[in-house]
Amino acid sequence: MTRKIALIFYILFAAVPVVCGLFYAIFYSLGLTGILSDGLTLSHWEQTLSSSTFYKSIGYSLFIALVVMTISIVLALWITISWLQDLKKGILSYMIYLPLAFPAIVMAFFSFQLLSKSGFLSRVAHSMGVINQLQQFPDWINDAYGVGIIFSLCLLITPFFIILFSNLYHNERIPALAHLAATLGASQNQIVWRVVIPVLLKKSAFTIFLFVLFVMGTYEIPLLLGRQDPSMLSVLIIQKLQKFNLADIPQAYTMAVIYVIIIGTVVAILFYGKPQFFKNSAQ
Amino acid sequence: MKEKRNIKLGSIATILIVAVWITSCGKGTNDDSSFDPSKHSWEEIQSEAAGKTVTFMMWGGDPKINAYINGYVAPALKNEYNITLETANGQGNAIVQLLMAEKQAGQPSNIDMMWINGETFYQLRQIEALYGPFVDQLPNATYIDLENPFISMDFQENINGMEAPWGNVQMTLIYNSDKVQNVPQTRAQLLDYVKKYPGTFTIDNHFTGLTFLKALLIDIAGDEESLKGDFNAQKYEKYTAELWSYFNKLKPYLWKQGTVFPENVAQMHQLFAAGELYFTMSNNDAEVDNKINEGLFPPSARAYVPDFGTIQNSHYLGIPKNGRDKAAAMVAINFLLSPEAQLEKLDPQVWGDGTVLNLEELPVSMAARFNDLPARKYAPSRDSIQSKARMELAPEYMIRLAEDFRDQIINQ
Repeated sequence: MTRKIALIFYILFAAVPVVCGLFYAIFYSLGLTGILSDGLTLSHWEQTLSSSTFYKSIGYSLFIALVVMTISIVLALWITISWLQDLKKGILSYMIYLPLAFPAIVMAFFSFQLLSKSGFLSRVAHSMGVINQLQQFPDWINDAYGVGIIFSLCLLITPFFIILFSNLYHNERIPALAHLAATLGASQNQIVWRVVIPVLLKKSAFTIFLFVLFVMGTYEIPLLLGRQDPSMLSVLIIQKLQKFNLADIPQAYTMAVIYVIIIGTVVAILFYGKPQFFKNSAQ
Repeated sequence: MKEKRNIKLGSIATILIVAVWITSCGKGTNDDSSFDPSKHSWEEIQSEAAGKTVTFMMWGGDPKINAYINGYVAPALKNEYNITLETANGQGNAIVQLLMAEKQAGQPSNIDMMWINGETFYQLRQIEALYGPFVDQLPNATYIDLENPFISMDFQENINGMEAPWGNVQMTLIYNSDKVQNVPQTRAQLLDYVKKYPGTFTIDNHFTGLTFLKALLIDIAGDEESLKGDFNAQKYEKYTAELWSYFNKLKPYLWKQGTVFPENVAQMHQLFAAGELYFTMSNNDAEVDNKINEGLFPPSARAYVPDFGTIQNSHYLGIPKNGRDKAAAMVAINFLLSPEAQLEKLDPQVWGDGTVLNLEELPVSMAARFNDLPARKYAPSRDSIQSKARMELAPEYMIRLAEDFRDQIINQ
C-alpha cells in the first residue's frame, strides 16, 4: 500500500510535470501552440535538422562531457586510492569536499578570475616577467577547446566522485578483495588495475552515464566561459529561446525535443540491451 | 502476468490523465481588474490607485538605478499617493516570456508596469500584450517632448500612447585615455586603430553590439534618411554586404581575433576595467561618470561619440494588458514623468539618465534647476553629441543583424 502511495506521489509530482513539459515542447515545435503559431508545420524541424550549428553543438557538448568525465574520474580514482586513509578526517577532507558547496555560476566566476588574460595567473606571469603584455597570456577562457569550461566542471564533479568511490570502496568490501588477491600472489599494481579500479568503475557506471548527461546539459558555466561558436547545446537553445526573434522560439523547443529523443533512445538501448548496467549501480 | 502488467500501465495512464486535467484546471481568467482607467477622470484614477501595490519589472543590474527607484521613487509614491512600489528583476526577453506565458494561461499578470526598450516594444506589440493608449491621460504627459522624434518614435514606430517615454540616452564609446590618445572617428580610422592595438577592441553579442552595428550600417548607407521607415530587404542586403566585408577586415584584430564576443556589455565593462580591452561602449552617455564614481572604471576612462555617429534612443514605461492595477501603474508612471522625478534622475550622481521633458514647457524656475545641475566630468555634454545622433532603425533590422552577425562573423 505504502509503495502504491509512493508511486502515485512520484507520478504526480515528478513524472507529470516532465511529461507535460515534453508534450508542450512537442506541440510548440510543431506549431500547435504558442501565441504566434500559424498551425501545424514541420518547418521548424526541417530548419533545425538541416542546421550544421545544431549538430556541431551536440558534438561539442559530447566532447566537453567526455573530456570532463575522463579527467574527473581519473583524478577521483587517483585521490581515492592513494589518499584513502587521509580522506576520512582532518583538513584534507574539508579541502576535497569544499568545491561541492560552490554553485556552478560561482565556480565559473572563480575560473574566469583565475584563468582569463586579465586574471590572477596572468598577473602573476606578468609580474614575474614571463609575459610582457596581458595579451600574451594563453587563451583559456572563451577558447576553442573549452579549457575554462572543462576546468570548472572538473572542479565541481571530481569531489563528488571522490565521495562516491571512497564509499564504494568500503561498501563493496574492496579491502577484503584486495587482501584476497594479495594472498593469491597479486602485486600491488595488479590489485589496483585488476581489482580495485574495475570494481569501482563497474559499480559506478550508471552514475557516470548520468553525469555525462548532466554535463552535456550544463548551462551557466559554458555561457560565461564558452564561445558562441561552437556553443554547448543548452546555450544554443536558450539563445534561440531568448534572443530578439520570437519566431525562433519553436526551433528552441525542437532542439530540446530532439535532444530528449537522443538521450531517451540511448537509455532505452541500454535498458533493453544491457539491463545489468542499471542493476549494478542500483544495488 | 501480462494482464497484471496491462492493468498497472492502465492505472498509471489514468493517474497521468487525471493529473494533467487537474494541473490544467483553474485556467480561466481571474482578472479582477474591472476598473477601466480609460473611462475615468484622473481624480478617479488616483483614488482607485490609493492603497494599491504596484509591481514594477525593471532591469536590476545597476546599483545607482536601484537606489533611485527604491530610495527615492518608492518612498515618494507611498507618501504622496499611498501606493506601495515593489520591484521585480527582469528586462527585455524576460518580460516578453512572462507576459506570453500569462497570456497563454489566461491569467492576470504578476506585474503592473515594466521598463521597456525598442525591441521589447516591438515584441510586445507582436503578441498584443500592451495596455493602452494611456499616455494622454497622464497629467505630466503635457511636459513630454513629443516633438522630438528620438522620443516619440521607438524603432521607427510611433509610440501612439502605448508606452510612456521615461529617459533618453545616446550610445557612446568609452576608452582608456592613458592607452589611447587619438580616438578613431571614422570607419577607416577604426580599422587603423585595431591594426595598431590588436586585441583591445570588440563589441558584445547583445543589444549594445547590435546598436553599434546599426550605427555602422547607417554610416555605410551614407544618408540617415536612406534606412528610415519600414524594413527594406533590398537596402538591407545591399548595405550589410559592405558592413560584413568591413567587419571581416576588423575581425582578425579584435579581442580574441574575433572568434568570440563578450556575451553582454557587463562582461565587456569588466574586461575594460581589468585592462584587457582599451574600449567598451554604453547605451547611456552618462555611464562613464557613474562607473568612475563607483570605482569600476579607471579615472582615465572617457566617453565620446565618433564622427560617424551613434544611435540615440529612449526607454519607456508600459502597462501589461492583463495587469491587475492599471490605475495604480498609471499614477506611478505619472510620478516618474514629473519634473521632480526627472530632475533627480538626470543628476549624474544619482543616475545621469537624460530627460524626456521639454524644458521650454516647464515653469521657468524648474527649467533653471535642470540647467543648473552639475555637469558630467568624463562624458561629453548632450549638446555636443546631438548632431551625431542617429535614429533607431525598424526592429527587423536588428533581428536580421543578430542572425547575420552569427552567420557572417561568429560562425566563419
